[in-house]
Amino acid sequence: MEMEEVEQEASFNFNNYWPSVAIVGAIFSVVSFVIGLFFGYQQINAEPTGSFISPVMISSGVICLATAFAGLLTVWHYTKEVSPFIKLGQGALIGFFTGAVIVIFSAVLNEMWHLIDPSYTEKLIEATIANVEAMDLPADAKNDMVDAMAESMRSNSFFRQIFIGIPIPGLLNMATAMIGVKVFGKKEDEINF
Amino acid sequence: MKNRGIYVGVLAAFTMLLLFSLGSGVWGGSDGVHWTEQLFMGVCHQLPDRTFTFMGERMAVNTRCFGIFLGLWIGWVVIPLFNDKIAEKKWPLFCLLFAGLLQIIDYSGNLFLLWENTNSSRFVLGTPLGFFSSLIIADLFQSK
Repeated sequence: MEMEEVEQEASFNFNNYWPSVAIVGAIFSVVSFVIGLFFGYQQINAEPTGSFISPVMISSGVICLATAFAGLLTVWHYTKEVSPFIKLGQGALIGFFTGAVIVIFSAVLNEMWHLIDPSYTEKLIEATIANVEAMDLPADAKNDMVDAMAESMRSNSFFRQIFIGIPIPGLLNMATAMIGVKVFGKKEDEINF
Repeated sequence: MKNRGIYVGVLAAFTMLLLFSLGSGVWGGSDGVHWTEQLFMGVCHQLPDRTFTFMGERMAVNTRCFGIFLGLWIGWVVIPLFNDKIAEKKWPLFCLLFAGLLQIIDYSGNLFLLWENTNSSRFVLGTPLGFFSSLIIADLFQSK
C-alpha cells in the first residue's frame, strides 16, 4: 500500500505542480515589479549624476539575480507542500514554467501600471538618457547607449515582453530548478518503510 | 548514463543560449535593437560599455552574463566526466556558494566605490558561477 502511494506520488501529474509554479511565479513577479518600480521612480526623481551605478542599473542586477532563483524555490515549495520526491525532468519542466509565469505576470503588472501612470516609461527614458549624457564617455559610446536604452524601453510591447521574454528566463529557472531537485528532492531509495 | 535525454536536451539549449549571447556578430545585423539583444533584455542590463565585442559587433549580453553562460555550457559539457565522481560530495556545493559570494562581493565593492571592476574581471568571476551551477547536479546523471 505504501509502495503504491510512493509510485503514485512519483508519477507525473501537472495539476500537482501548478500551485507551486503559480505561487512562486506570482510572488517573484510582484517582488521584481515592485523593485523595478521603486528604482525606476528613484531614477526619475534623481538629478543625473553621470554614474554607471544608476538606480535602474542596480534594479536590473537585483531583479535578474532574484528571478533566476525562482525555479529553485518552486522545487523547494513542491517538496515541502506536495511530495519530497521529484524527478530531474519534472523539476526542469516546472522551472521553465516558473520563468514563464514570472514573465507573463510581470508583463500584466507593467500594463496595469501604465493605466495608473501613463507617462512612466517616457519619464524613465528621459531620466536614463539624462544620466547617460552626464557620463564621462566618448560621444559615440554615449550615443550608442542612449539609442539602445531608448529603443529597448520603447519597444517593450505586451506581446513582445511575453513571447520574446519567456525563453531565457525559462531556461535560467530550469537550471536553478534542477539544482533544487538535487538539493531538496529525495531519491526513492531514501524512503523509510 | 541516467537521464540521457535530459542531458542532451539541456546541452542543446545551453549551446543555443551561448550562441545567442554572442549577438549580431554571429547572427547578422538587423535594424534597431538586434533580436538577440531583445531575447536577453529581461535578464541583463546590456550596457554597451560593459559588453565584449565579437566579430566586430557588440555581444547581446554584458561580460558577467557571458561568463555565466559560458561557464554553464562548459560545466554541462564536462558532466559525463564527473557524474560518478561527485556523488555524496559536498565540494561542488561549497564551490557554487563561494562563486555566488564572489559575485556579491565584487558587485558590492564596485557599488560602494571600494574598487572598480573591469569587463575582464566580471567575465572571469562570472564563469565559475555558471560552471559550478551545472557541475553541482552531475551526480543526477550517474549510471545505476
